Amino acid sequence: MGSTLSDVIIGVLVACLGLIGLFAAAGALDIEMSIFGWSMAGFALVFILGLIKRHYDEIDAARHAPQAVTIEGVAIHE
Amino acid sequence: MRLPISQSFIERNAIVLLIATLITVAIGGLVEVVPLFTIQTTVVKVPGIRPYSPLELLGRQIYVREGCYLCHSQQIRNLRDEVTRYGHPSIAAESMYDHPFQWGSKRIGPDLARVGGKYSNDWMYQHLKAPRSLVPESIMPDFAFLARNRLNTKELIAAMQTNIDLGVPYTKGDLKNAQADLAAQADPNADHSGLLLRYPKAMVVQGQGGRVTELDALVAYLQILGRMVDFTDPAVEHALAAQGGK
Amino acid sequence: MSEAVLNPLAAPYTTAAPARHPAYNEDIVRKFLIASMFWGVVAFLVGCYIAAELAWPQLNIAPWFNFGRLRPVHTSAAIFAFGGCALLGTSFYVVQRTCRAPLWGGKALADFVFWGYQFVIVMAALSYVLGFSKSREYAEPPWHIAVLLVVVWVAYLVAYVGTLLKREEPHIYVANWFYLAFIVTVAMLWITNNLTLPVSIYSSRSYSLLSGAQDAMVQWWYGHNAVGFYLTAGFLGMMYYFIPKAADRPVYSYRLSVVHFWALIFIYIWAGPHHLEYTSLPDWTQTLGMVFSIMLWMPSWGGMINGLMTLSGAWEKLRTDPGLRFSVTAVGFYGMSTFEGPLMSIRSVNALAHYTDWVIGHVHSGTLGWVAFIVFGSFYYLVPVLWKRNGLYSKRLVAWHYWISTLGIVLYITSMWVAGIMEGLMWRAYDAMGFLQYSFIQTVVAVHPLYVVRLTGGLFFLLGMLIMCFNLIMTVTSRSTARAIAPAAALAAGA
Repeated sequence: MGSTLSDVIIGVLVACLGLIGLFAAAGALDIEMSIFGWSMAGFALVFILGLIKRHYDEIDAARHAPQAVTIEGVAIHE
Repeated sequence: MRLPISQSFIERNAIVLLIATLITVAIGGLVEVVPLFTIQTTVVKVPGIRPYSPLELLGRQIYVREGCYLCHSQQIRNLRDEVTRYGHPSIAAESMYDHPFQWGSKRIGPDLARVGGKYSNDWMYQHLKAPRSLVPESIMPDFAFLARNRLNTKELIAAMQTNIDLGVPYTKGDLKNAQADLAAQADPNADHSGLLLRYPKAMVVQGQGGRVTELDALVAYLQILGRMVDFTDPAVEHALAAQGGK
Repeated sequence: MSEAVLNPLAAPYTTAAPARHPAYNEDIVRKFLIASMFWGVVAFLVGCYIAAELAWPQLNIAPWFNFGRLRPVHTSAAIFAFGGCALLGTSFYVVQRTCRAPLWGGKALADFVFWGYQFVIVMAALSYVLGFSKSREYAEPPWHIAVLLVVVWVAYLVAYVGTLLKREEPHIYVANWFYLAFIVTVAMLWITNNLTLPVSIYSSRSYSLLSGAQDAMVQWWYGHNAVGFYLTAGFLGMMYYFIPKAADRPVYSYRLSVVHFWALIFIYIWAGPHHLEYTSLPDWTQTLGMVFSIMLWMPSWGGMINGLMTLSGAWEKLRTDPGLRFSVTAVGFYGMSTFEGPLMSIRSVNALAHYTDWVIGHVHSGTLGWVAFIVFGSFYYLVPVLWKRNGLYSKRLVAWHYWISTLGIVLYITSMWVAGIMEGLMWRAYDAMGFLQYSFIQTVVAVHPLYVVRLTGGLFFLLGMLIMCFNLIMTVTSRSTARAIAPAAALAAGA
């Protein structure tokens, strides 16, 4: 599927952001930086889990309804 | 006349469109901003302008944090009524150490460019804590909580160092004495000679026996606004007139 | 008109019924649309609250909900969250349709743009109430949030330009020029105006790179062009797609769109210094700002004429399509505020108007009348298309929304005109003895009733927004709008 490469690149980018968030939270000198750091780490975690979930959902969909693959889950007009 | 590049070509090439757009929008900004750094008269140095004292600098941070600039301008325009109401028109040098500037854009309350020294410290404290106790019609929020918050001085040296990096002329001595100057400015009984040597006209505020609050810092900042330059001094007049600046 | 019909730029019309339909990413458009509606309610709610604070100061709940901390929440929520999500969503919709190409970069890139943008909004709002504003109007977030926004924005640019590059149409449709100018210029403005030096990389505090007069110039170069490119160019992109679509007419004049596009983006960028007239900024800069502000009137009205004249021959649609009524009224308000703006930049007018509520009124005639109305018009068109419904749940509710919010805007801007001019006149009034006639606090007392009227106008606008939310939710969920048989021709043509 064409979107796999994009999934990987974005996944790595977001993982880097999450890592930066952890560092920001670890060194934070004020409450705002602390909240920001933890939130960004959490954001990255949830976003990447979302990417992984969608990947397996698409595999499942492909297995159960092979015809649906061609439209990639995006509905088309009749 | 034929332009060197046609619209039909541009709109068929996304990258060309992008670059042409970027060039078109860059011109105005470049023409208006770059000369402000090269033309000498943009900011005319006048006697009296100095960096903020440590307490004033942190007080300024409170001013920024609370969004005071959203209701109070710090820029007296060169108009008759503003000069009558607020004083001498603001000159560029007066905000040359303001990172960022606080000129504001709306007067929900009055201009503060020369509020320093207009009211006593006692009035300032009371007015900030409960504005309507002094001005019943005032719509300013209460800032009583500032009097309860101890001033965070942990970042003071780093903040001054950052200002030095940006071109504010704090000296090594200023840095060395920063904590002491801060404490002295918030203690009426302290020795203020060093503070006033480094930061002339700095106004000493109440403090609470060694405990410096955010309100102390804010009042110290407000009390220096507009007082650095003495416009009755002929040297100031001369410096401004000689360079045709403002 | 014949010119426009023949022109390849009339993209949505040359391909009335495409044989094959690429797999557009409509999911991302739906997400942005929902987010925009949500943030719109937040922005209007906070706006009403701070308007009430100005009328009744007891409402300031220190420290988090003081006016000074909430006002950036209102402006950011309105401009970047409500307007921004609408722009990002519709630009993704328009670029796919007019290029006949699916969004480049796959779902992951689009989702990153969406969720990253939402994350930035929430973090920024939080930083303001916690007291970490940078105090640059419309660019208040602390430095690290500003940097994160740049990352998200670059992802947006990549997805957008990627789609343009992969297009099946030979020409790039006019709406995309405006969207692209919006994306590119906002990036330039945002980066320049956010140049600050943090106290430490672990601290949210930072000091701006520039100071005083230069800093003021850069801030208002940014601030004015946030209006010019965020609130104008982007929404003109929206106008150039959705008005022709809803009216089922090609854009009035291709040549006019070319001329007014280049003129608008070239001239707008100069107009910033009109925010700094009579200040200690050098006179030559102020003069340039004023001159270009007046010149800006022409390309602005070029856009208005192009938008309005697109309806020639289709005016009767205003009676049957209440969504289109929003779009057309929006263009009317656009024409009005882009006339008022140059007027206010004239030195003698500016001397009176600056620092007063007239400016606030002017901004809101642009943001409520132009920005919000063009969004409403576009969304009333988009929701049935995106959710494949048989039309809107209730056209009567759209009409109610229309009249309630129009009344709200009228109350808002007239009260601010009166308040602003009154403040300006009272501040400069001298008595017979040559003393100032009024103390400052007397002007505060005098504008109080007008602040209450302004709040009423804001509440009307909020009420209209809630009606719209209800109507759109019902459109998506109600059985009455479900497509039972073949979809209506009007909706199928959504290609």
